[in-house]
Amino acid sequence: MGVIRLGYVHARVTDLEAARRHYGDTLGMRLVHQKPDTLYYKAWDEWDHHSVVLEEGGVGLVKLGYKVERGEDLDRFEQRAQAFGAITERMSKGDNLGVGDGVRIVLPSDHVVELYQEIEVVGTDTGTVNPDPFPRHLVGVGVPRIDHALITAEDPGTVERFFAEVLDFGVSERVVTELDGGETLGSWMFCTNTPHDIAFIKGPNGKLHHFAYYLTDWAEIKRAGELFAMDDVSVDIGPTQHGITRGQTIYFFDPSGNRNEVFSGGYITYPDFPAITWTADQLAKGIFYISRELNERFTSVLT
Amino acid sequence: MPTVTVLPDEVAVAAGDGEGILAALYRAGFGYRTGCRRGGCGVCKVDLVSGEVDYPATVAGTVLTAQERATGTCLSCRAVPRGDVVIRLRDERLRCLIPFLRPAPFPRPDPSQRPERKS
Ligand code: FES
Ligand SMILES: [Fe+2]
Repeated sequence: MGVIRLGYVHARVTDLEAARRHYGDTLGMRLVHQKPDTLYYKAWDEWDHHSVVLEEGGVGLVKLGYKVERGEDLDRFEQRAQAFGAITERMSKGDNLGVGDGVRIVLPSDHVVELYQEIEVVGTDTGTVNPDPFPRHLVGVGVPRIDHALITAEDPGTVERFFAEVLDFGVSERVVTELDGGETLGSWMFCTNTPHDIAFIKGPNGKLHHFAYYLTDWAEIKRAGELFAMDDVSVDIGPTQHGITRGQTIYFFDPSGNRNEVFSGGYITYPDFPAITWTADQLAKGIFYISRELNERFTSVLT
Repeated sequence: MPTVTVLPDEVAVAAGDGEGILAALYRAGFGYRTGCRRGGCGVCKVDLVSGEVDYPATVAGTVLTAQERATGTCLSCRAVPRGDVVIRLRDERLRCLIPFLRPAPFPRPDPSQRPERKS
């Protein structure tokens, strides 16, 4: 019961053809549907209809979709969100291609999150009967699935409280100004067994820092980096190692300037996971464990 | 070939056909603070002091507003000079990233002549 995963990221791009080359040819997602102004992509190991929606016009995040397990979850989360003071609205089947009824919530950080339980199922590319470990037709990086998103909020502490109290997410890691009773500068939260399904960092409301794809291991991260060089993808930083989440990473930009990440590793979380705390003076080490320096691009580029 | 001149350093580089301002400067070994280099963040904005630029790649109106375009703000990672252009960096100095490409250290204006930096 509850939220089971990040289901879709809906972002804006300035140019659909350039987006196609990036998300289709370089990252290797499969185009499942297109409209004159919107592309729908899915990664090979995902079974739902789509996980990335790219809409022409502007940059940045339109919304994030989180899938819930049961229909009743929608009512419960809607009531809790309203009690928290968030604006909610019902969405109907078909508002999003292939997606059923749901609840749309405006977060305290002005981002829009949609909860839904039904989405058309198309299956993974390897199927569920005697499957191969990966499909033969992959191009580019061949990302298997999306993993998480990092968004910015003026008050990350309140957004954390929203995800904890309303949506039953757990905190894996938190950056605070000081250990006892300090302000929360960033928070990493999970609804699955991964280190994060959503994260917030202090910044302007409504902005996207990045959304990430999962890769199996460090070798795949390096190979992704090589493909980024071949395809002239603008790289922010990496390959490198995170302190927070313990994952390995490359941050890079799509052709419109939205930041993406390929992420591997990380530990397992459970509902009783003891939250890890980082103090602000160690933030750079938390984010980039090896260099222990934050680059200005990483801290300043948002869409 | 259009010439891109950067103030206040008065460094001039040649831009290739269809080559953007930032790309031409990078190729010549120079850099300054930039972000996504894909037109999405606005970190690379400079003042267009003279000349005209085109934006062959679509730029979001939220990143570079029509008002900014009209008043000489230039998104240097996406702007392609139409002819010779002069740009001025904002609160930023040009850095020589690849000194091997330079026959001699590039001239710095007399520090006493430097314009006041805004904070
Ligand atoms: S560097 Fe991001 S818009 Fe130019
Ligand atoms: Fe991430």
